[in-house]
Amino acid sequence: MGVTLPQSDPQGRPEHYLEGFRNRHGLEESGVEGNVVTLVVNPNIVPAVLATARECLQIMHLSYITVVDRVGSFELTYELLDLRGVSVRVKTAIEGEEPVIDTVTGIYPTANWHEREAYDMFGVAFKGHPDMRRVYMWQDHFDHHPLLKSFEISTKRTFEGLR
Amino acid sequence: MLEQERVAESAALSGRATERLTNPYLRNEFGLETIDLNVGPQHPAMHGLLRLILELDGETVVRCDTVMGYLHRCQEKIAENRMYPAVIPLTDRLDYFANMHMEHGYCLAVEDMLDVEIPPRADAIRVLMCELMRLASHLPSTGFLMLELGAFTPILYAFRERERIQNIFEAVTGARMMFHYLRIGGVKADLPADIPERIWEYVESLEANLQRDFVDLIEGNEIFVARTRGVGRMSQEKAVEIGVTGPALRCTGVDFDIRRDYPYSWYPNVEFDVITDTGGDVEAGYRVRIGEIKQSIRIVKQVLEKLPEGEVMGDVSRRIRPPEGEGFGRVESPRGEFAVHVVSDGSDVPYRVHYRDPSFVNMQLLQEILPGHYLPDVIAIMGLIDPVSGGWDK
Repeated sequence: MGVTLPQSDPQGRPEHYLEGFRNRHGLEESGVEGNVVTLVVNPNIVPAVLATARECLQIMHLSYITVVDRVGSFELTYELLDLRGVSVRVKTAIEGEEPVIDTVTGIYPTANWHEREAYDMFGVAFKGHPDMRRVYMWQDHFDHHPLLKSFEISTKRTFEGLR
Repeated sequence: MLEQERVAESAALSGRATERLTNPYLRNEFGLETIDLNVGPQHPAMHGLLRLILELDGETVVRCDTVMGYLHRCQEKIAENRMYPAVIPLTDRLDYFANMHMEHGYCLAVEDMLDVEIPPRADAIRVLMCELMRLASHLPSTGFLMLELGAFTPILYAFRERERIQNIFEAVTGARMMFHYLRIGGVKADLPADIPERIWEYVESLEANLQRDFVDLIEGNEIFVARTRGVGRMSQEKAVEIGVTGPALRCTGVDFDIRRDYPYSWYPNVEFDVITDTGGDVEAGYRVRIGEIKQSIRIVKQVLEKLPEGEVMGDVSRRIRPPEGEGFGRVESPRGEFAVHVVSDGSDVPYRVHYRDPSFVNMQLLQEILPGHYLPDVIAIMGLIDPVSGGWDK
């Protein structure tokens, strides 16, 4: 028993990963830069791509999920590490004001709190998540998602005069 | 009527809570009579503001629900409204036991976009400061663990050592905790002339004190072993599944350290071992931390021996405007993988800053490994994870 990790030398492994993803999912827009594999995928195949990473390519670690509010659409970045020098970035974009995407908690259980955080801060709903509560803000009587660009803060910076 | 309203409101929050309010002694689906115990948010052993809702069967934990957000400042939102260099003092307030690592992670992420060359001396000073910071974090966390297990002495020794490191930091950066020492492109100022010698003397003295005041005092102590061996045991698969990093992962035997596997800054120039253990319990976590203290001393000595000469600040303009794109920084903080993802829209304010904090992710362990443990072991397991409030709450 135990976790087996790849060789410590990352030479050639990013290309191997990219080939693995391409064989299964196509992914025209993806590429390798240094030790980073970047995949641009359609939101509805994100769980399938991450399942390929976990089951077939044995990439063990989901580091984080970043959401970026592009006003009108949301960009999601799933950062995967194989714990030996190579990282895989899965990028996707969801259109619309009420974004919904399938959860990846079944593939990477660590996504549980990352997705709760994304829901809390951006209102991105993760379909099939076992415990979709807010993680930071209070549950009752708080209807906002603070990291949305439409959420104005009172101390907005006023450095315009310095330009 | 008021009571009824309160009950109804709670019912809207969660069905279980209502039943608890009307009948705290409830039988669960296994026919066991359990009670809910609320630990925190203000509790001396909770490492900050953390609330745990523990469902107890007698003295055994059946279920744990972690409630966070009591120190949430929404740092990511504040960062979106400040210029790039003005975010650095905020990162100090993230994980306030590893300020240097937080600054380092953010600076690496911004430098990733800027494509600026960091002078080797600045990189070496960063590594030196980060390793001293690791000492100043691992020593108290060992002390906290012992304090929570009922031994008062080690925390005094730990804080004596931390105090001496803080004195060094004060001489170098001008501050004892919130340094704001790292800059985008280098560090604020060169080391004062007498500092390399002072650091060398200090780590020499720590090497001697470590054996006498920590290892000899703690290791093999009957109470310590009884309270920690086999407590919080997790398998490698479990730890990796939950995304645990840092000493809590290495104590299960998974050989992963960002400093070696995703090398950054000056770390490729120094030699060190990645400490692992096979126990996967609190005792193994303690041993890994002690081992890492020794490795940090080794790194500090190597940096002092090889410290390059030259500038400490790269060629960065005063107003930082990275091109449109994304920057990534990843460092090994004392608690695990700290990653920063910065998105730029070409202006002088970050469009989005995302912090991946190890305390936040490692804390998912609680709901996984607490069931089946006794209530006093909860505190020991907190010592294994060693979360910091500012980190998990951002």
